[in-house]
Amino acid sequence: MKATRREFVQWAVASGITLGVSRIGAGQAAATPPGFTARETLPGRGKWTPELGRIDGVAKATGAKLYASDFRAADLPGWPSETSHALLVRCADATHIYEGFDLARLSKIARPAVVVTADDVKHAKIRVPAFYEGDLFCPAGKTPTYLGQPVALLIFEKFDAFDQARLALRDGQFLRFGKETGPVEGSNYGAFRFTRVAGPTPDDPDVYSPMQAGWISPGFLESSGRPIWKPLPVAKGGDYVKGATFGEEIRKGLASKDAGLLVLDREFETQSVDPMFLEPECGLAWYDTSSQKLETVLGVQSPFETTESLAFLLGEASPGFKPKVIDAQFAYVGGGFGGRDHTPFPLYVTLAGMFYPGHAVRLAHDRFQQFQGGIKRHAFKMRSKIGIDRTTGKITAFAADHVLDGGGMMNYSPSVATVGATGALGIYDVPKVDVTTVAMHTRGVTAGSMRGYGTLQTMTALETLIDEVACALPMDPIEFRRRNALPPGGRIMTGHAFSVSTRTKEILSKLEKHPIWSRRAAEKRQAKPGFLVGTGVAIATKDYGSGADCSLGRVEISPEGRISIHSDAVEMGNGIGTALVNRVALHLGGRADEVTVAQVDAFDALELVKTGDPFTMAQAAQDEGEKNPRWVPEISSPTSASIGAHVGTQAAAEAARILYRFGLWPAAIALWGIAPNDPRTKQSDEAYWQDDILIMTGLDPLPLKKIAAKAHAMKVVTGVMAHAFSRWAWAQATFAIHGESWTADIDALAVRYGSDGFTRLSRSSVAFPPTDYNRIGVAFSSRCGTLVRVEIERATGKLRIAKAYSALECGQALVPEVVVGQSQGGFAMGVGYALLETLPPFEEGPGNGQWNLGQYRIARGSDLPLHDLEIEVLPPLPKEPPKGMAEVVMIPVVPALLNAIFDATGHRFRSLPVTQTMIKDALA
Amino acid sequence: MTTLALTINGRAYGPIEVRDDLTMNDFLREYLGMTGTKYGCGAAQCLSCAVIVDRPDGTSHTNPTCIVPASSFNGKTIRTIEGHAKNGELTILQKTFIEHFAFQCGYCTPGFLNEGQVLLERLEKSPVAHADLDITIGEALDGHLCRCTGYVKYHEAVRAAVLTEPTRFLKDSAQ
Repeated sequence: MKATRREFVQWAVASGITLGVSRIGAGQAAATPPGFTARETLPGRGKWTPELGRIDGVAKATGAKLYASDFRAADLPGWPSETSHALLVRCADATHIYEGFDLARLSKIARPAVVVTADDVKHAKIRVPAFYEGDLFCPAGKTPTYLGQPVALLIFEKFDAFDQARLALRDGQFLRFGKETGPVEGSNYGAFRFTRVAGPTPDDPDVYSPMQAGWISPGFLESSGRPIWKPLPVAKGGDYVKGATFGEEIRKGLASKDAGLLVLDREFETQSVDPMFLEPECGLAWYDTSSQKLETVLGVQSPFETTESLAFLLGEASPGFKPKVIDAQFAYVGGGFGGRDHTPFPLYVTLAGMFYPGHAVRLAHDRFQQFQGGIKRHAFKMRSKIGIDRTTGKITAFAADHVLDGGGMMNYSPSVATVGATGALGIYDVPKVDVTTVAMHTRGVTAGSMRGYGTLQTMTALETLIDEVACALPMDPIEFRRRNALPPGGRIMTGHAFSVSTRTKEILSKLEKHPIWSRRAAEKRQAKPGFLVGTGVAIATKDYGSGADCSLGRVEISPEGRISIHSDAVEMGNGIGTALVNRVALHLGGRADEVTVAQVDAFDALELVKTGDPFTMAQAAQDEGEKNPRWVPEISSPTSASIGAHVGTQAAAEAARILYRFGLWPAAIALWGIAPNDPRTKQSDEAYWQDDILIMTGLDPLPLKKIAAKAHAMKVVTGVMAHAFSRWAWAQATFAIHGESWTADIDALAVRYGSDGFTRLSRSSVAFPPTDYNRIGVAFSSRCGTLVRVEIERATGKLRIAKAYSALECGQALVPEVVVGQSQGGFAMGVGYALLETLPPFEEGPGNGQWNLGQYRIARGSDLPLHDLEIEVLPPLPKEPPKGMAEVVMIPVVPALLNAIFDATGHRFRSLPVTQTMIKDALA
Repeated sequence: MTTLALTINGRAYGPIEVRDDLTMNDFLREYLGMTGTKYGCGAAQCLSCAVIVDRPDGTSHTNPTCIVPASSFNGKTIRTIEGHAKNGELTILQKTFIEHFAFQCGYCTPGFLNEGQVLLERLEKSPVAHADLDITIGEALDGHLCRCTGYVKYHEAVRAAVLTEPTRFLKDSAQ
């Protein structure tokens, strides 16, 4: 007889036994614990859905198992009852030859059951996915490529053995290193030049632009790996020579001694920081040898990419290491900020499972390891030159050179370099621009995606430079920004215009009229004795989307009127589940009863296929691909680049629209008894929802439940799944649904009639955005401006943020409370970046494995103006869709703080973070 | 090895033999499967691991669990996030956390919820003036780290919980 959980606990308590690591009651407890998907389906059928609040609100406020770090094998039906644990050993030396390790210090009971090294991976014919190119483990006899590179996985059968071993091995002294070699040299990860020369008037075509000529990269390198930016005096270089020649002309102009031109030439440095999401990376893997099935539980921002990577990792592996099935399950994420997008961590979770077959193995970073091995923000070194016509106050030219520290693996470095470079002009309209950028390989911890993604760095340098320009002219800083703001339809650095609203001047007006700004002189005068007061302003624009963004959505309604939504987007705090509910409710009236996110295999009925890389494919390849009605340029995107609202809800919204039009509407027509030839049958857009009641003038209101029951009885559409793709514009396709032609911003569709299964509908035509849109760089953008007032104690340099205000435009806010919350969070992260957080490079930095929150300070409540932080979200323009906003809200905070510090102290800091000590020294 | 017996959310556990260097966080998460209490830093810096310790005198305080040996909790009575709601009924604070969108990723929520609950219970015994409420909340929650929210909505949620029953928590509730 199986004991209930309660009975087992009582028995255990009475016996006084040592329980080991077996879960008390679990496994032996409830006959079948809820499965992973059931736990991750929120709020869940029959569960309380508050009128306010997030759909994950109750789960998160009650400590439900939700995150990857919450799950153990005993929580998952069908898994082994016990969990084994793995330790990923990373090295803290990247200048000496790694020679192996010695586990002699471990007591007998703390010995690993399995040790996995580079040799084991090689013998098992494990492949490394291209994105993570390099050695998964540093082989003995080689110098590690970077600090924190893994050298081994140690797998322990029992938790106690693991726990004792991890404490005994924490100092890393068991690793042996030999001869000093210096760091491993590596090629740079990418070098690009963005040069634009506008025509004589805004209406004229550009003389030269990346949009016209394509993106260019120099083909020549110095021995250090740095590119040679000037064209070489040889007839080589192809397209690069033309762009570089224009670029050098722009630089010559900035170097001329023109008295009418104000030229500032400044350097700025930003630091490496950690995303510092609260849940360290972790995962669970179990390879069932009898079924040859690998199951994983992971928490990442890029589930589809992870699944593909795992399949590649093991795809050609030796017998015993190549599962027949991989069932990758993805959990709610305890913070991401980009650091869990394309992270290599799941590869190691999988290896832990495969190398200890039959056992469920958990791999989890502790915080030291997360600092040592987690993705970081790129440190930038920037030199910027800006020229301003002193008479008009207009920017005439801008040139900049960026060098990024990419760390030990390429990851997203080329992309961060290009996004940072193309964002280096911020909101401004500049007719001549030349920006070079290079992402360098170093022995540092790998840098990759992190909130703000390049533009945080380059726009901080820009907005502090703009403040200096305004002082030098002199001109009011907001007026200078207004005068130079890119007008709607104006071309950015790549030679393309934003295709969404650009409400810069509205935001500048908001900033200008705010009391923080209008009272800045008075507040400065009235500073308390011993204190300095300063006010700073900055404004930023941030792209949302990557240029190859996908959305998968599935919406169903039951005969009882219960709505289910499934999406591939990831919930990492961004409120995507709630945004899906709210956007679908616009079409279906009711709030969904259940939502699943981070789904990879819930859309199999679409039978999607892809070929090539959507960012680099040729038009001919796309033209060929789209002949197959199942083909799409990309299947699923990471939840990153602020795409949640805009992209993450797109497919579900379009699915809901179809479900209404071809399911609920015909059912309503039938319930109303309207004849087929009645013109009102065509007036589906005239009806509207009041909560879950459908209202049509002159007809009886119909409750959703009644309509849903009728739709099922009529066997009309009751479920829809769709795929959408955006390359700075949505792909659009036409389908025949129920004999009608339906055109929408989706490219694949499947429908369910009544309670049948889903049937894929082939599109009759499709228009994918042309592949040369990949040259655009960015076409979707939101704006945010920030004001801060700081108070600095002269004697100590201690800074207090007295008041702050951010004005933001983001189209239609799907969950307004989350928009404000993300803005407040962005403010806090901006404060941390500007004033507190820093990771030194190399041996003193996080790669040494000794970093934790003791040394690394993120903003606390007491660092922030909790009761004096005002967020204003501009109402959307008519029919304006949702726009991404999670990154842009952080960016202006940083330069606004630096500009406020200058206003208070008269000192311009040109590196981050600006610490209390630095301010004190500057005031000394 | 040390013998450990304690009460968690009103239920007795132990006596159980545990290693001397086993942390309370691992005892809860690995031995008992109670993962509502989070692991964040292992250095008592973020406090996402904090639980409520109820003293015999009827007062309570929060305690980190990530660097504290499980054995140090022997004989103690603690509460974790799993124990706040009773019979499916959420506490005032859980409701205001939800209604005010206090959290985003939610990973730090257990620590904030426990700290906020301790504050509410303290205010019930020792009310403060309405004018001191914000600073009282600020002092109570400071030190708990959150990377998503900027803390504002956590503070608003605790404030709202106090103001749902001002006569219970404030000296001068009429103000």
